[in-house]
Amino acid sequence: MAGASSHSQEVRPAILDEVNPVDIPRQACVDNNRSFNWITEKICGIIEEKTPTWWWVCFIIACATASFTFIGLGYLVVTGVGVWGLANPVNWGWAIVNFVFWIGIGHAGTLISAILCLLRQKWRTSINRAAEAMTIFAVVCAGLFPVFHVGRVWFALYPGYLFPFPNANGIWPNFRSALLWDVFAVSTYGTVSVLFWYIGLIPDFATVRDRAKTKFRKIAYGIVAMGWRGSNRHWSNYEMLYLILAGLSTPLVLSVHTIVSFDFAISLVPGWHTTIFPPYFVAGAIFSGFGMVITLMLPLRAIYGLQDLITQYHIDCMTKIILATGTMVGYAYGMEFFIAAYGANDFEIFAFVNRAFGNYAWAYWIMISCNVISPQFFWFKSIRENTTLVWVISLFVNVGMWFERFVITVTSLSRDFLPSSWGYYSPTVVDIFTYLGTFGLFSVLFLLFLRFVPLMAMAEIKAVTPQADPHHAHTHKAGSGDYVNN
Amino acid sequence: MSAERDASLPNPTKWLLIGAVGLIISFIGMFVDPRMASFCYLIGMIFTTSITIGMLFLVMIHHIFDAYWSTVIRRQAENFLAALPWMAVLFIPLFLITYLYKQDTLWIWMDLDHELHGHGTVGTDPLYLKKTWWLSETFFWIRAVVCFLAWIYFARTFRRNSFSQDEDGSAEHTYSSRKHAAGGLIVVALTWSMAGFDWIMSLEYHWFSTMFGVWFFANSMRAALAVLVLVAAFLVAKGPLKGIFNTKHLHDLSTLCFAFTVFWAYISFSQYFLIWNGNIPEETFWYNFREEGMWYGVSMFLIFGHFLFPFLFMLQFPLKTKYPAMVFMACWILFMQLFDLIFNILPSLKVHGHTAQLFHQPLGFLWLAASVLGGIGVLLWAYWTSYYKVKIIPIRDPRIGECLNHNH
Repeated sequence: MAGASSHSQEVRPAILDEVNPVDIPRQACVDNNRSFNWITEKICGIIEEKTPTWWWVCFIIACATASFTFIGLGYLVVTGVGVWGLANPVNWGWAIVNFVFWIGIGHAGTLISAILCLLRQKWRTSINRAAEAMTIFAVVCAGLFPVFHVGRVWFALYPGYLFPFPNANGIWPNFRSALLWDVFAVSTYGTVSVLFWYIGLIPDFATVRDRAKTKFRKIAYGIVAMGWRGSNRHWSNYEMLYLILAGLSTPLVLSVHTIVSFDFAISLVPGWHTTIFPPYFVAGAIFSGFGMVITLMLPLRAIYGLQDLITQYHIDCMTKIILATGTMVGYAYGMEFFIAAYGANDFEIFAFVNRAFGNYAWAYWIMISCNVISPQFFWFKSIRENTTLVWVISLFVNVGMWFERFVITVTSLSRDFLPSSWGYYSPTVVDIFTYLGTFGLFSVLFLLFLRFVPLMAMAEIKAVTPQADPHHAHTHKAGSGDYVNN
Repeated sequence: MSAERDASLPNPTKWLLIGAVGLIISFIGMFVDPRMASFCYLIGMIFTTSITIGMLFLVMIHHIFDAYWSTVIRRQAENFLAALPWMAVLFIPLFLITYLYKQDTLWIWMDLDHELHGHGTVGTDPLYLKKTWWLSETFFWIRAVVCFLAWIYFARTFRRNSFSQDEDGSAEHTYSSRKHAAGGLIVVALTWSMAGFDWIMSLEYHWFSTMFGVWFFANSMRAALAVLVLVAAFLVAKGPLKGIFNTKHLHDLSTLCFAFTVFWAYISFSQYFLIWNGNIPEETFWYNFREEGMWYGVSMFLIFGHFLFPFLFMLQFPLKTKYPAMVFMACWILFMQLFDLIFNILPSLKVHGHTAQLFHQPLGFLWLAASVLGGIGVLLWAYWTSYYKVKIIPIRDPRIGECLNHNH
């Protein structure tokens, strides 16, 4: 190696002859060496087959459940916001809890499609489509709450309870309020997520169009495929656009939950005003999002026989992300307690002691068990390989993250600075049914997605199979001297 | 078998001598101007420790992700880990000065008789009395020892696994590293946060911020990545990594530098913004000190120099793949990194009740330069000593083949 600097670039460094990697094979993203055709048949088959009975059963149940939300919201519009359980001192109750819960769920989609794309994580290809769909539907559910909490919902957009138009009295929404920033952040996020999802869908829509047997289907999918021919130029434009959107979405993922955290953290309420909130909320959002991805994908994997596309490797990756983000959330819980004690502020100390041992202690310990303790089971391989257990833990994650928002919002408000105004918040029946209904709304949208849109990004999955690699045919033996030089 | 010694590569002993000179000047400073020189020494010591801890994080992140592109440069990070025990040694003078000279030289809460400007003494300060459970001197030093022991344990484990694999080519070493990385990330995240609270935040013991540990992490990652870029560029230019470390690797490393630039800005901004917006005196005073005199300029310089400029610079793809551009950027980041530490540490030094101003004490620059040079000298001495003992790349690593063919 000595004096190599004086040699020309073609000189091969001597150390390369010693290179002899240990064999720890990478896990494949597609099991059983499935062909391109198998992948197309499998995924297109889902939307081309006759609508299965279970789908109709689920769809009807989902519609019925979704009606709760609309009845609840209709009742609210007709009667007034008093139908919700909000009352002094807890003026932020389930509405904001549900809003933050659904927004958080939405984060996994963009994380998988944008951040994992930038990190070149190949395993994202099997789950990104469904996760992005989930993002959009979750944002829809989330958006309902801020829009309807204004009561006279026709004022929400114009003239300006939410959007910054001066309203009838010439009053503008306060630009210094994080709630207004939420409007910008969430609407931008929703828009970019839809664009990103749609761009990824174009090549797959073209595949469905080309396979369509009826004229109507051909035209419908033809329109949404936007004349995609799969030419080299199409692909290179597509790849560039996809990368740019991934780059744009990445700060958006972080910004949305950062601003959601600002809703709380810019106030002076003990338990809300703490500097770690932004990254802690983002970690929590990704945590809850992955929880929901697993909750949805594992049943679909079993129903459609997708074991070769959502492999144990995918489940391992997702559970490990849940473990990592759950532990980060645990770190934040710990930091809040530590700094409350270290900061020696009586109100802050009280807020946290009250959280853990006060009137809402039950909610706090549900949160800790679900968010910090339950993911720790994912340290064990045997549990990660047991799909039933993984699914059950993913449910715990969903529950835990709802309770996290509940604990933050309600415990701090119910014990504010003035003991004479302390109270105990309970949701009304309208609160409960409106929230339950959003699961129906989410399911209706997701079921429609299952019927009309390819569940997985076929084109992208094909690109990560071994046969997509031009060197696939000849074996890549270590130390055979094929390492590329500069 | 070890890498051959090349005349064009630095001699470790030279760096030890440079480090020794720096340290001796620092120690002289502690006699001439004990408080200023000790603060500068603390800055220099944390600066170099943050580089090594950043390397430790990088190695662990590499293993936990089963990453491939970083395999080619991981060995250099492991070489830097050799410096961790010496960082612990560099910490000892801080212990000595508080014992031999005055307990309140650095952390004023260590001296119960320390006069608080116009508010009695530390011992009568109600806030201090509520914090004694954490801010106890013995506990403080025990925590520092625990932190260093934990870091040295993990550093040694990763080094041993990696070097042994070169010899025996056993996959077990990789599995062991992965397991240690999983546990190590939790342990090091907690201990490094604790170190941040103790060493920097408790300088101003009235102040608190839950974000501080995350800031300290972001800070160490930026420093380590910048040093890795410099090392890679140096080794490519001098020959040893030529034809091994390619521009794709450089691009990935630069992208990570870029990502952590944004992360650092995100964390620093969030901390500032939430405190500014909350506007309660028990938090804002910390930033108010940092708007006095020269510190206002330093704050502004951090915003533009530590975020905006690197951000716009590294946003450009061509610059991220060119050695001269990235060498410049890495030097810039390291320089700004030092400023960030100065900004966080030095205003806690109070002279007659006012925030210390570096420009008012020209000798301060000497102590600062000497302590940074001292730390860097020791760091590079440990690095080069380790460098000559091991292979330039982990030749039996399971991902080294993929990494060398990295051509994405």
